[in-house]
Amino acid sequence: MEIIKTSNLKKSYMLGNVEVKALNGVDTSIEQGEFVAIMGPSGCGKSTFLNLTGMLDTPTSGEIYLEGKDVTNMNSNMRAEYRLKYMGFVFQFFNLFNELTVMENVMFPMMLNKRSNYKERAKELLNLVGLGDRLNHLPSELSGGQQQRVTIARSLANDPKILLADEPTGNLDTASSIEIIELFRKLNQEQGQTIVMVTHSPEIGGMTDRIIHFRDGTIEH
Amino acid sequence: MSSVFFYARKDAKKNWKMFVFVIMAIAISTANIIIINGFMDGLTDGFLEKTMDTSSGHINIYPNEQDKYIEGLGIKEKKLDGLDGVVAYSPRITAGGTLHYKEKFKTIKILALDPSKENEVTILLSKIDSGKTLAANDRDGILISYRLADDLKVKIGDEATIVFENGKIRVFKIRGILHTGLAMDTNTIIINFEDASEQLNLFNKASIILVKLQDGTLSGQYKNKISGELGIQKIKEWEQEIESVLSSFKTFRDISNFMNAIGLFTGAVSVGIVLYINILHRRRQIGILKAIGMKDSQVLFVYILQAVFLGIIGILIGDALGYAGTKYLEAHPFPDPTLGSLGPRFHLSLIYDASLVTMLIIILAAAIPALMASRTNIIKAIWGE
Repeated sequence: MEIIKTSNLKKSYMLGNVEVKALNGVDTSIEQGEFVAIMGPSGCGKSTFLNLTGMLDTPTSGEIYLEGKDVTNMNSNMRAEYRLKYMGFVFQFFNLFNELTVMENVMFPMMLNKRSNYKERAKELLNLVGLGDRLNHLPSELSGGQQQRVTIARSLANDPKILLADEPTGNLDTASSIEIIELFRKLNQEQGQTIVMVTHSPEIGGMTDRIIHFRDGTIEH
Repeated sequence: MSSVFFYARKDAKKNWKMFVFVIMAIAISTANIIIINGFMDGLTDGFLEKTMDTSSGHINIYPNEQDKYIEGLGIKEKKLDGLDGVVAYSPRITAGGTLHYKEKFKTIKILALDPSKENEVTILLSKIDSGKTLAANDRDGILISYRLADDLKVKIGDEATIVFENGKIRVFKIRGILHTGLAMDTNTIIINFEDASEQLNLFNKASIILVKLQDGTLSGQYKNKISGELGIQKIKEWEQEIESVLSSFKTFRDISNFMNAIGLFTGAVSVGIVLYINILHRRRQIGILKAIGMKDSQVLFVYILQAVFLGIIGILIGDALGYAGTKYLEAHPFPDPTLGSLGPRFHLSLIYDASLVTMLIIILAAAIPALMASRTNIIKAIWGE
């Protein structure tokens, strides 16, 4: 089943008086349960594509379909609700809430989603990512790899249909990077989690089911 | 909602050092309002009490518009005697004249009253600085205001000459020096009612009759009743009399409101700036909050809620400080040459009003940075653009 589909997706920015075309008509389709890497040189539109499909940003034109539903023109509230219930995000710089403990970081999206068993579920997810013994630590007390694993646990909190990762290993050493990708692989294979990951690294890209190459705002065929 | 509370609490806890200053600003601002308003109320009440004590009955009867004096005083007094609920009354005559002592003289206001009747209505005759008060049967004595005594350098027991407004002249002996804390301290002398009637040829007449009721709150009913019985249209209740006193306090009230507004503005600006700085520092966090699915309205509410947290703590501390300060100053008022003492009056509405106004202003002050936070662009916030 097609879970993400974009049609002639365009995104332009104005840099002073100059129009910069970050995406210039992207047509793509990702199946449910796929583990896809988005690759390409810097400035080719990888992150822009991820932000648009993750509903963090709005396109200049074109359409985005998630599970067959056109989500292009949803209002801010609907987009927030969609992100909360159907999307999980993993960012390069972890972006955890520094004032919350590891456990609270993972609980928080479930609290927002009014889930009742959020404490048990948070523990379960932290055990899954191998941090069951770090529940009450603050993010600042963890290594980069551990912080990224907390981010992954948080991204899975509301059982999202799509997990979007923007260079999740970009800030990690090789060992930690491999750990994270293996964790993604495990989630994908054991739980059928759809994962779309932006990466610069051909080795990491090579560990996914499929690589989509971007160049100058379009998909390279 | 619980998630919003949860995050607002955690975020506030993280920033508690910064927020302590905001709480202090709110507390001082709240206490400031309580104490200043307490002072204004104390000042107003003090003047009102003095006015009621010395210059007004529950009801004051004046001559009709076309008359200079109330005519037929004896009959009117009898009618007042016959009215249930009228406890006492005191007719007064007011006139002008000059007071001469040695080579000096001053323009004066003559207030003539019957001491035995006046003492049933006001405590004016007890406001004596030195000497003794005017006795009912004292036909030669006068009371003189302290400023007048000072200007003419007269002492108790001295003889001074009054030239009445109709040109009649009579010598009186200074019995006592009057100090009321009101305008009459400037140039008023008090003489016996009978003396004034005689000198001014005002038999059976009065300038005003002060009436004391059993229940002062019924002055409205009695106003109409007395008006009908006495055939006099110009009758004022005590509340109408003090309106002029109240209006003279309007300027003071405006000044105190201005001071309160400055205090509040300071508190509000502190809240606004601290929240704004906090939001600027936490822009990325706000971006993440929105990225994981927090709605704009929820982000707005997080920061409004923080302001309300700070407001509640600051206001509670301010209420306690304001209460303690007002109570202390109530017990230890400042000495004042006019009123005797100048201090605040505490009543609960001071706390309610200050708390409510401060909270509203804080919420308004927090609204701008909170709105800014709610409108944060996720991409720019997360990637620090």
